[in-house]
Amino acid sequence: MTMAFASVLELRGVSRKFGGVPAVDGVNLSARAGTITGLIGPNGAGKTTVVNMVAGLLRLTEGQVLLDGTDVSRAEAAELAHAGVARTFQNIRLVPGATVLDNILAGFHRHEAAGFWPNVLGLRSARAEASAFRAEAERLLERFRMTQFAQHLAGNLSYGHQRRIEMMRALALRPKLLLLDEPVAGMNDVEAASLGEIFKEIAADNVAVLLIEHNIRLVSSICSYLYVLSSGRLISEGQPDAVLRDKTVIEAYLGA
Amino acid sequence: MISFLSSYQSLADQILIYSVLAMSQCLVMRAGLFSLAPTAFAGIGAYTMAVLTTAHGVNPVLAIVCGVMLATLVAAAMALATSRLRGVFQAVATLALVQVMVTVGLGWESVTRGALGINGIPKVATTGWLLLVVALATWLLWTIGRYSIGRAFDLIREDETVAVSLGISVMRYHRFAMILSGLLGGLAGALYAANSHAIQPSEFGFSMIVAGLTMAVLGGHKSVWGALLGAAILISLPELFRVFAEYRSVFQGVLLMLVIIFLPNGIVDSLLELAHERKVRRALPSGDGGNIDTKARAT
Amino acid sequence: MLLQQLLNGVVVGSVYAIFALGFTLLFGVNNILNMAHGSVFMWGAFAGLAAVTYFGPSFPLAVVVGMLAGGLLSVLLDIVAFRPLRRRKGADMSALLSSLGANLVLLSLAQNLSNTKVMRYPFGIFPIVNFQVFGLRIQLLQLVIPLICIVMVAALVFLLYRTGLGRRIRSVAFSESTSRLLGINSEWVNAQVFFMSGALAGLAGVLIGIAFNSVHYHMGEPFLLKAFVVIILGGLGSIPGALVAGVVIGTIETLTISYVSSAAADGITFAVLFLIILIRPTGLFGKASTVMRVQRQ
Repeated sequence: MTMAFASVLELRGVSRKFGGVPAVDGVNLSARAGTITGLIGPNGAGKTTVVNMVAGLLRLTEGQVLLDGTDVSRAEAAELAHAGVARTFQNIRLVPGATVLDNILAGFHRHEAAGFWPNVLGLRSARAEASAFRAEAERLLERFRMTQFAQHLAGNLSYGHQRRIEMMRALALRPKLLLLDEPVAGMNDVEAASLGEIFKEIAADNVAVLLIEHNIRLVSSICSYLYVLSSGRLISEGQPDAVLRDKTVIEAYLGA
Repeated sequence: MISFLSSYQSLADQILIYSVLAMSQCLVMRAGLFSLAPTAFAGIGAYTMAVLTTAHGVNPVLAIVCGVMLATLVAAAMALATSRLRGVFQAVATLALVQVMVTVGLGWESVTRGALGINGIPKVATTGWLLLVVALATWLLWTIGRYSIGRAFDLIREDETVAVSLGISVMRYHRFAMILSGLLGGLAGALYAANSHAIQPSEFGFSMIVAGLTMAVLGGHKSVWGALLGAAILISLPELFRVFAEYRSVFQGVLLMLVIIFLPNGIVDSLLELAHERKVRRALPSGDGGNIDTKARAT
Repeated sequence: MLLQQLLNGVVVGSVYAIFALGFTLLFGVNNILNMAHGSVFMWGAFAGLAAVTYFGPSFPLAVVVGMLAGGLLSVLLDIVAFRPLRRRKGADMSALLSSLGANLVLLSLAQNLSNTKVMRYPFGIFPIVNFQVFGLRIQLLQLVIPLICIVMVAALVFLLYRTGLGRRIRSVAFSESTSRLLGINSEWVNAQVFFMSGALAGLAGVLIGIAFNSVHYHMGEPFLLKAFVVIILGGLGSIPGALVAGVVIGTIETLTISYVSSAAADGITFAVLFLIILIRPTGLFGKASTVMRVQRQ
């Protein structure tokens, strides 16, 4: 099951029932820093439910979620963000009327230390902090090759660009656990691969990445460990090559 | 509707005073707080100022400060009480506050003189002072909206779930918005009393709620100039339509509907967005960084 | 004496309930607070009055015309003020603001057309028959009004739960997009819901116009404000809630007016509203609200 050294994220027997019907049933899972762990499965398997339970939007019916060994099963989403958990969403959720830069800067909220009143009054400490965040945001823009879009209104950009903005916003939080919910949905293979490279870079920065995805090619190329969920239960786990050849997994996808 | 065009007030004064009310409303709208309370805060500010000066001979400027402080205190209480509410419930709770204030104004006759209202309020809020106050209020709104607070407001308004998942405490920001709206609303009310010689409870009810909302919607709630423009348009409109004086309110109602339907971000915000887009498009080099995607709008 | 006031309270409360029913119906189906509901009520009262002025005093005529006028006006409101906003993000707030604008228009038009006069229904519009029961003086009208209220509630419940239209309405209330996928013409359903809501408001207007012998362009506002208290107490979107809460509020108000003062009545009504919102915002029979803060579900 879990590895010898501690995981950033650990799920133990996590279940979620909606009126007696289990959407997620007894899931055990772990994600380590510096790796990309994949969670795959046919539609309706319960993957997003798992993410929402980890991210603080859904209650657990049973089980525990541990973050660096601490039980966070009942922590609210904001607390989790402050503990270093960042996530992206299946649908794009940006502020369309704000610039790309402003959208990204929102992600730095966790690190704001200047204090309320300095911000309100525009004191030097607040301005210095604002410049520091801006510089970091600009580095992110460079990394994602979107520097020239900094001042564009996020709502006017293409789908692929909007996905990247969401990613940058999540990274602004400087997370130790990054939950990616179908981040390359609707993208072609070239684009998905290029984002995949960025995910590998992120993981290399000692971040634990949990990747929910349907794109099997991407998953097999960047994940070091896979979990397969079907009808709320884990039906397989292990190295991608082995898992993707597992008969039960293939049946689950074909039968779904 | 707005029946305050008495000989005691000039148009400019009206616009300035109402712009502060509009700022209070814009602030809460920007934060995604569905509050109709600015009118209640205005009533508190106005009556506190009026009662202190007419019945207790307090220095008018001090009375204005007291009015603002009391309104802010009530706003703080409201903020705590309503911090777990959202949407419709916030609207109804704040509407209830306005009604309670009107009822107190009408019923507490020993203090407020009931439906007759209070007369003889010293007129200290002259145009010069109003300009100064409005300038300060505008600066305050601008500086608050400039950095992280403004961004947090925008995100909370747009998508509370995302805000929360980035660690933003919605409760804290909503409370702040409510308290600050109390300060601005109370200020608007106190200035109103200090400029118009007489006030009545009925002035701080439903029609003022509608006026405040109309101004905020007209101008837009993101830019600090929205409140000023909204107030300017709303107050000047009756003057332009002198001929149709009786149908003033009809025009106001129609205007509100038209703006909501066709220009929901308000005039100033829409113009600024257009200008921003033009500027950005002009600066864009050909090609878009190597990715060819199908264009899609964020939902 | 107390019993007499209780009776009055029930009568007034029944009208509150009818009015609130229309209001809560719209909320339940569309999630909107129709701030123009009070004006529809007022226009219904005027329409009934106009009808009996032209065609002679007839209670059924006033009621029918009032309901028809209210219904049609409400549908017009939907087309002009609400429909353009329906698919938008943040539709609730926009709809509220739009309805505020519409309310202002309807209010001022009525003000101008009626020259701000207080009008009355012709004497004898409703037979003045009194009963003496247990020392109480009861007018026939005071029995008829609660009866009408009960009939309306029963009819609405029957419609919603036993007819095809009712099923379609509940489907749209649950999810408009899903309903459309199922082939339901949601716009037609919405129009019918708005009609029913307006008809109820118009009915309430006629009843109040007759019961209190006054029809005035400003008669809608206090009703709208009270409707808020009623639907919050009863639960947003709940029909039994509107009925129970309407009667409760009507009774509390009447008792307060006769034993304390009418100013106190308003104050108490809104204090009640505050308490409910703070303690139990979903009210007595509240529908599961979508407007709660983000927290672990």
